[in-house]
Amino acid sequence: MSNAFAIYQKELWHYFRSPIAYFVVAVFLLGAGYFFSYNIFFTGIASMAETFQNMGILLLMVVPALTMRLYPAEYGAGTMELLLTLPLRPWQIVLGKYLGALTILLLMIAGTLIDLVPLYLFGDPDTTTILAGYIGFLLLGMACLAVGQFFSALTSNQIVAALATLAVLLAFWFVGHLQAFQTSHVLRGLLGYLSFSGHYADFILGLVRSEAVVFYLIVTAIAWTLTTSYLQWQR
Amino acid sequence: MIALDRVCKRYGARTVIHDLSFSVERGEIVGFLGPNGAGKTTTLRMLAGFTTATSGRVRVAGHDMATENVQAARKIGYVPEHPPLYDALDVSAYLRFVAKVKGVPRSEMAAELERVTAACRLEAVFRREIYKLSKGYRQRVGLAQALLGRPEVLLLDEPTIGLDPGQIQETREVIRAFGEEHTVLLSTHILPEATLICRRVAIIHHGRLLAIDTPGGLQRAVEHSNVVNLQVSAPAEALRAELLALEGVRAVHLQAARGEDRRLLVQCEVEERDGVEAAIARTVALRWELHRLERQQPTLENVFLHYVRAAPAVAEAA
Repeated sequence: MSNAFAIYQKELWHYFRSPIAYFVVAVFLLGAGYFFSYNIFFTGIASMAETFQNMGILLLMVVPALTMRLYPAEYGAGTMELLLTLPLRPWQIVLGKYLGALTILLLMIAGTLIDLVPLYLFGDPDTTTILAGYIGFLLLGMACLAVGQFFSALTSNQIVAALATLAVLLAFWFVGHLQAFQTSHVLRGLLGYLSFSGHYADFILGLVRSEAVVFYLIVTAIAWTLTTSYLQWQR
Repeated sequence: MIALDRVCKRYGARTVIHDLSFSVERGEIVGFLGPNGAGKTTTLRMLAGFTTATSGRVRVAGHDMATENVQAARKIGYVPEHPPLYDALDVSAYLRFVAKVKGVPRSEMAAELERVTAACRLEAVFRREIYKLSKGYRQRVGLAQALLGRPEVLLLDEPTIGLDPGQIQETREVIRAFGEEHTVLLSTHILPEATLICRRVAIIHHGRLLAIDTPGGLQRAVEHSNVVNLQVSAPAEALRAELLALEGVRAVHLQAARGEDRRLLVQCEVEERDGVEAAIARTVALRWELHRLERQQPTLENVFLHYVRAAPAVAEAA
């Protein structure tokens, strides 16, 4: 475990020693702040629902930027050879890197909390709904980071990693729209189940459904396993 | 400490290592010698646990690298050909990261960092970011990283490449000091390096082990040199006739010495038997001025070329 922690520390060092973390967090907060003010002034309702929806899409854009360098940077610098010959198991590398990216995500979430100040000052929002929305956003983010980490492990090119992640995340986000074209019940159910945005919509409405929680955790676990197995298989 | 037993490595249809077996004992420095692309790096990577052998057994410090590579990794210090450094970190942060992963306890951390820093003479750059370092320093940070945690086995892939003569000297000292108690396997294509610091030398070509012996043993095995070199002041044709008349001299090559009037460089190919040199010396000294006479020493270059040329042409598609 302490090995994974050493990787985590190194990752944080890299995030904050380069402009990536600052830039990604700033872009995200700028976007989230814009959508927040727009939604509030447009609807006049003290609610985060619309803003959460927009933050979800924004998340799909910034996750590739966070995860794209996780492995390509190691492959490029030859440091993967160091990591894989140190007393480290692949899952420890994956865990340390994942927690590093997750820390940045938590920082972004913390940044959006400032939106709540005017909301509570000038309105009377529903706290449980907002809490559910944040839980959903965190789970969505965890799944997206895990997917991003997997595609990052597959290539030594950061651009390829970012674009592949973006494509897959967008596909998962919009896959629910394909439901309308299906006649088969099974297929409709499956497409609905796979939809990142579908499960997220429940959280925004204030519903923390165990099915949705489990869905995001399963996606995260599958992506982790694939990444770990890939690193193992590469030897 | 290190044992390879009938190891093969294939990438797809291409076989990079053929049936390689050898072992290295504790307290031994062994040089791994071969032309570029011979399979040196692949072998070191298998020993370090970066890749696995397609077949055969690789054991390091008592652990099978196929199944116990993490346990073995605690006992191995490995420096790949390109030092694996994080440019954004400074030297101290980088070394601390590696030490933590290797499980150096917090209480011993400072002393351990100081030890490797001193051994690799990194004091001057300890707080500097790695991307600002010269090639020589980068190489030494790579070596310092490998020494952390007091490994039992040190694997070095071309450790002195890109260093200046002073740094090469220092690096060799570090390796030699380490090799007194521990095990070192280093790859190189610099022949004098192998003779200088290695107890034994393994010659590898096209992924096959051609020979493994002490540098002296390899030289003796390959050739009893059959060339005698002289420097004589004498008329060319008379000298040639005189030498060829001697029993045991097969051929004579003459060349004027540069910058020296009338002095000739003579290369005699002789039969392998005792007393030929003495006969030549006596004959020449009787009539002319003999400046120098020596039997040509076989160099490791000759040894190496001998083995590489003698190796059968390998069908790559096999």
